[in-house]
Amino acid sequence: MDKETLITQLKEIVKPYAKNEEALLNINENTDFVNDLKINSANLVDVVLDVEEQFNIVIDNESMERMLNVKSAIEIIEAKLGAQ
Amino acid sequence: MIGNDIIDLHLAGQESNWQRKGYLSKIFTAAEQEMICQASVPSDMVWLLWSCKEAAYKIVNRLTNVRIYNPAKFSCSLPDDQGDTVRGSVLHEAQTYSFISYRNSSCIHTVAVSHDIFLSSIDVYTGGSLPLDLFTNKSLVKNQDGIPYLMNCFTYSPIPVSISHHGNYVGLVQQKAVL
Repeated sequence: MDKETLITQLKEIVKPYAKNEEALLNINENTDFVNDLKINSANLVDVVLDVEEQFNIVIDNESMERMLNVKSAIEIIEAKLGAQ
Repeated sequence: MIGNDIIDLHLAGQESNWQRKGYLSKIFTAAEQEMICQASVPSDMVWLLWSCKEAAYKIVNRLTNVRIYNPAKFSCSLPDDQGDTVRGSVLHEAQTYSFISYRNSSCIHTVAVSHDIFLSSIDVYTGGSLPLDLFTNKSLVKNQDGIPYLMNCFTYSPIPVSISHHGNYVGLVQQKAVL
Protein backbone atom coordinates (compact mmCIF):
# COMPACT_ATOMS: atom_id res chain seq x y z
CA MET A 1 0.00 0.00 0.00
CA ASP A 2 1.53 3.33 -0.97
CA LYS A 3 1.69 6.37 1.28
CA GLU A 4 -0.95 8.37 -0.58
CA THR A 5 -3.48 5.55 -0.25
CA LEU A 6 -2.70 5.29 3.46
CA ILE A 7 -3.16 9.04 3.96
CA THR A 8 -6.50 8.91 2.10
CA GLN A 9 -7.67 6.11 4.37
CA LEU A 10 -6.45 7.93 7.46
CA LYS A 11 -8.30 11.04 6.31
CA GLU A 12 -11.58 9.11 6.29
CA ILE A 13 -10.82 7.70 9.75
CA VAL A 14 -10.04 11.04 11.41
CA LYS A 15 -12.85 12.93 9.63
CA PRO A 16 -15.52 12.47 12.35
CA TYR A 17 -13.15 13.69 15.08
CA ALA A 18 -11.27 16.51 13.32
CA LYS A 19 -12.45 19.99 14.29
CA ASN A 20 -10.33 21.91 11.81
CA GLU A 21 -11.92 21.39 8.37
CA GLU A 22 -9.16 23.21 6.51
CA ALA A 23 -6.40 21.13 8.07
CA LEU A 24 -8.40 17.99 7.27
CA LEU A 25 -8.73 19.10 3.65
CA ASN A 26 -4.96 19.62 3.44
CA ILE A 27 -4.01 16.53 5.40
CA ASN A 28 -0.47 15.33 4.66
CA GLU A 29 2.40 13.48 6.27
CA ASN A 30 3.24 16.44 8.51
CA THR A 31 -0.29 16.89 9.89
CA ASP A 32 -0.55 16.66 13.66
CA PHE A 33 -3.76 15.10 15.00
CA VAL A 34 -3.98 17.42 18.00
CA ASN A 35 -2.26 20.67 17.00
CA ASP A 36 -3.51 20.78 13.39
CA LEU A 37 -6.72 18.73 13.19
CA LYS A 38 -7.72 19.75 16.75
CA ILE A 39 -8.81 16.23 17.61
CA ASN A 40 -9.87 16.00 21.26
CA SER A 41 -7.47 13.78 23.24
CA ALA A 42 -10.40 11.59 24.35
CA ASN A 43 -11.06 10.91 20.65
CA LEU A 44 -7.46 9.90 19.84
CA VAL A 45 -8.31 6.49 21.24
CA ASP A 46 -11.18 6.30 18.73
CA VAL A 47 -8.68 6.99 15.94
CA VAL A 48 -6.49 4.16 17.28
CA LEU A 49 -9.46 1.76 17.51
CA ASP A 50 -10.68 2.72 14.02
CA VAL A 51 -7.18 2.15 12.58
CA GLU A 52 -7.09 -1.26 14.27
CA GLU A 53 -10.44 -2.21 12.73
CA GLN A 54 -9.71 -0.81 9.28
CA PHE A 55 -6.32 -2.48 8.88
CA ASN A 56 -7.01 -5.51 11.05
CA ILE A 57 -3.99 -4.87 13.24
CA VAL A 58 -3.41 -4.53 16.99
CA ILE A 59 -1.80 -1.33 18.22
CA ASP A 60 -0.09 -1.91 21.55
CA ASN A 61 0.27 0.91 24.07
CA GLU A 62 3.91 1.40 23.19
CA SER A 63 2.96 2.19 19.59
CA MET A 64 -0.10 4.19 20.60
CA GLU A 65 2.19 6.45 22.63
CA ARG A 66 3.57 7.89 19.36
CA MET A 67 0.31 8.07 17.41
CA LEU A 68 -0.03 11.84 17.52
CA ASN A 69 0.48 12.64 13.84
CA VAL A 70 0.01 11.23 10.35
CA LYS A 71 3.70 10.36 9.93
CA SER A 72 3.83 8.18 13.05
CA ALA A 73 0.47 6.59 12.25
CA ILE A 74 1.75 5.56 8.81
CA GLU A 75 4.97 4.15 10.30
CA ILE A 76 2.99 2.16 12.86
CA ILE A 77 0.47 0.82 10.32
CA GLU A 78 3.25 -0.16 7.87
CA ALA A 79 5.26 -1.88 10.61
CA LYS A 80 2.22 -3.83 11.88
CA LEU A 81 1.14 -4.84 8.35
CA GLY A 82 4.73 -5.85 7.53
CA ALA A 83 4.90 -8.06 10.60
CA GLN A 84 1.81 -10.04 9.62
CA MET B 1 4.32 22.63 38.39
CA ILE B 2 0.62 22.64 37.69
CA GLY B 3 -1.76 21.16 35.17
CA ASN B 4 -5.50 21.23 34.74
CA ASP B 5 -8.26 19.75 32.63
CA ILE B 6 -11.89 20.68 32.23
CA ILE B 7 -14.64 18.51 30.76
CA ASP B 8 -18.06 19.66 29.59
CA LEU B 9 -19.99 16.50 30.48
CA HIS B 10 -22.79 17.13 28.00
CA LEU B 11 -20.32 17.57 25.12
CA ALA B 12 -18.20 14.61 26.26
CA GLY B 13 -21.32 12.44 26.05
CA GLN B 14 -21.84 13.58 22.46
CA GLU B 15 -18.20 13.35 21.37
CA SER B 16 -17.21 10.03 22.86
CA ASN B 17 -18.76 6.61 23.07
CA TRP B 18 -16.72 5.19 25.94
CA GLN B 19 -18.81 2.02 25.78
CA ARG B 20 -17.41 1.04 22.40
CA LYS B 21 -15.44 -2.18 22.38
CA GLY B 22 -11.81 -1.75 23.41
CA TYR B 23 -12.16 1.88 24.48
CA LEU B 24 -11.78 1.51 28.25
CA SER B 25 -8.99 -1.07 28.12
CA LYS B 26 -6.86 1.15 25.88
CA ILE B 27 -6.76 4.07 28.28
CA PHE B 28 -7.64 2.83 31.77
CA THR B 29 -5.80 0.44 34.10
CA ALA B 30 -7.58 -2.72 35.30
CA ALA B 31 -8.18 -1.07 38.69
CA GLU B 32 -9.68 2.01 37.02
CA GLN B 33 -11.96 -0.10 34.83
CA GLU B 34 -13.18 -1.77 38.02
CA MET B 35 -13.85 1.67 39.56
CA ILE B 36 -15.92 2.58 36.49
CA CYS B 37 -17.91 -0.67 36.71
CA GLN B 38 -18.62 -0.14 40.41
CA ALA B 39 -19.54 3.55 40.12
CA SER B 40 -23.15 4.59 40.59
CA VAL B 41 -22.85 6.68 37.41
CA PRO B 42 -20.15 4.98 35.32
CA SER B 43 -19.87 7.80 32.75
CA ASP B 44 -19.12 10.33 35.52
CA MET B 45 -16.31 8.08 36.72
CA VAL B 46 -14.94 7.75 33.16
CA TRP B 47 -14.65 11.54 32.82
CA LEU B 48 -13.41 12.10 36.35
CA LEU B 49 -10.55 9.64 35.81
CA TRP B 50 -9.89 11.02 32.34
CA SER B 51 -9.59 14.59 33.62
CA CYS B 52 -7.14 13.43 36.32
CA LYS B 53 -4.95 11.72 33.73
CA GLU B 54 -5.01 14.76 31.47
CA ALA B 55 -4.16 17.18 34.28
CA ALA B 56 -1.22 15.01 35.39
CA TYR B 57 -0.08 14.56 31.78
CA LYS B 58 0.12 18.33 31.39
CA ILE B 59 2.59 18.46 34.29
CA VAL B 60 4.70 15.65 32.85
CA ASN B 61 4.60 17.33 29.44
CA ARG B 62 5.73 20.63 31.03
CA LEU B 63 8.60 18.88 32.81
CA THR B 64 9.82 16.72 29.95
CA ASN B 65 8.74 18.60 26.81
CA VAL B 66 7.84 15.20 25.38
CA ARG B 67 4.42 14.52 23.89
CA ILE B 68 3.08 11.00 24.35
CA TYR B 69 -0.34 9.37 24.21
CA ASN B 70 -0.47 6.62 26.78
CA PRO B 71 -3.21 7.40 29.32
CA ALA B 72 -3.04 3.92 30.88
CA LYS B 73 0.43 4.80 32.18
CA PHE B 74 -1.22 7.36 34.46
CA SER B 75 -2.75 5.43 37.32
CA CYS B 76 -5.39 7.22 39.43
CA SER B 77 -6.47 6.60 42.99
CA LEU B 78 -9.38 8.45 44.58
CA PRO B 79 -9.18 7.90 48.33
CA ASP B 80 -11.26 10.96 49.18
CA ASP B 81 -14.46 11.24 47.11
CA GLN B 82 -16.80 13.79 48.65
CA GLY B 83 -19.06 13.96 45.62
CA ASP B 84 -18.55 17.54 44.47
CA THR B 85 -14.89 17.58 45.53
CA VAL B 86 -12.59 14.63 44.94
CA ARG B 87 -9.00 14.43 46.16
CA GLY B 88 -6.49 11.82 45.16
CA SER B 89 -3.30 11.17 43.27
CA VAL B 90 -2.04 10.04 39.90
CA LEU B 91 1.01 7.77 39.68
CA HIS B 92 3.21 8.04 36.59
CA GLU B 93 6.63 6.40 36.32
CA ALA B 94 7.22 6.37 40.10
CA GLN B 95 6.18 10.02 40.47
CA THR B 96 2.98 10.92 42.30
CA TYR B 97 0.89 13.96 41.39
CA SER B 98 -1.82 15.10 43.79
CA PHE B 99 -5.04 16.45 42.40
CA ILE B 100 -8.34 18.05 43.38
CA SER B 101 -11.40 17.66 41.16
CA TYR B 102 -14.36 19.98 41.40
CA ARG B 103 -17.51 18.67 39.80
CA ASN B 104 -21.19 19.31 39.33
CA SER B 105 -23.78 17.80 37.03
CA SER B 106 -22.44 19.62 33.96
CA CYS B 107 -18.69 19.88 34.33
CA ILE B 108 -15.56 18.42 35.93
CA HIS B 109 -12.47 20.52 36.57
CA THR B 110 -9.33 18.78 37.82
CA VAL B 111 -6.20 20.53 39.02
CA ALA B 112 -3.02 18.52 39.51
CA VAL B 113 0.24 19.63 41.12
CA SER B 114 3.77 18.23 41.14
CA HIS B 115 4.07 18.66 44.93
CA ASP B 116 1.37 18.73 47.60
CA ILE B 117 2.71 22.04 48.84
CA PHE B 118 1.45 23.75 45.66
CA LEU B 119 -2.15 22.81 46.44
CA SER B 120 -2.27 25.62 48.99
CA SER B 121 -0.66 28.19 46.69
CA ILE B 122 -2.83 28.10 43.60
CA ASP B 123 -5.83 30.06 42.36
CA VAL B 124 -8.47 28.08 40.49
CA TYR B 125 -11.18 29.48 38.20
CA THR B 126 -13.98 27.45 36.67
CA GLY B 127 -16.78 28.87 34.56
CA GLY B 128 -18.19 29.93 31.23
CA SER B 129 -15.46 32.54 30.71
CA LEU B 130 -12.35 33.73 32.48
CA PRO B 131 -12.59 36.78 34.77
CA LEU B 132 -11.10 39.72 32.88
CA ASP B 133 -9.33 41.12 35.95
CA LEU B 134 -7.10 38.10 35.79
CA PHE B 135 -5.40 39.72 32.83
CA THR B 136 -5.08 43.23 34.28
CA ASN B 137 -1.52 44.36 33.62
CA LYS B 138 -0.68 40.86 32.54
CA SER B 139 -0.47 39.16 29.19
CA LEU B 140 -0.76 35.53 28.34
CA VAL B 141 2.41 34.31 26.66
CA LYS B 142 3.73 30.94 25.59
CA ASN B 143 7.34 29.87 25.61
CA GLN B 144 8.99 28.14 22.62
CA ASP B 145 7.54 24.81 23.75
CA GLY B 146 3.99 26.13 23.87
CA ILE B 147 3.83 26.27 27.68
CA PRO B 148 1.66 29.20 28.85
CA TYR B 149 2.56 31.88 31.40
CA LEU B 150 0.93 35.06 32.62
CA MET B 151 3.56 37.77 32.23
CA ASN B 152 3.44 40.82 34.45
CA CYS B 153 3.67 43.81 32.08
CA PHE B 154 5.80 45.81 34.53
CA THR B 155 8.10 43.31 36.16
CA TYR B 156 8.13 40.75 33.33
CA SER B 157 7.93 38.03 35.96
CA PRO B 158 6.19 34.96 34.54
CA ILE B 159 3.48 33.21 36.54
CA PRO B 160 2.94 29.58 35.52
CA VAL B 161 -0.63 29.02 34.37
CA SER B 162 -2.61 26.12 32.93
CA ILE B 163 -5.75 26.71 30.90
CA SER B 164 -8.26 24.17 29.61
CA HIS B 165 -11.28 24.69 27.34
CA HIS B 166 -14.05 22.26 26.52
CA GLY B 167 -17.51 23.03 25.22
CA ASN B 168 -19.13 25.75 27.31
CA TYR B 169 -16.48 25.70 30.01
CA VAL B 170 -13.06 27.06 30.66
CA GLY B 171 -10.82 26.29 33.61
CA LEU B 172 -7.68 28.05 34.73
CA VAL B 173 -5.18 27.42 37.47
CA GLN B 174 -2.28 29.70 38.29
CA GLN B 175 0.38 29.70 40.92
CA LYS B 176 -0.16 32.52 43.36
CA ALA B 177 2.27 35.35 42.76
CA VAL B 178 5.06 35.46 45.31
CA LEU B 179 4.67 38.64 47.33
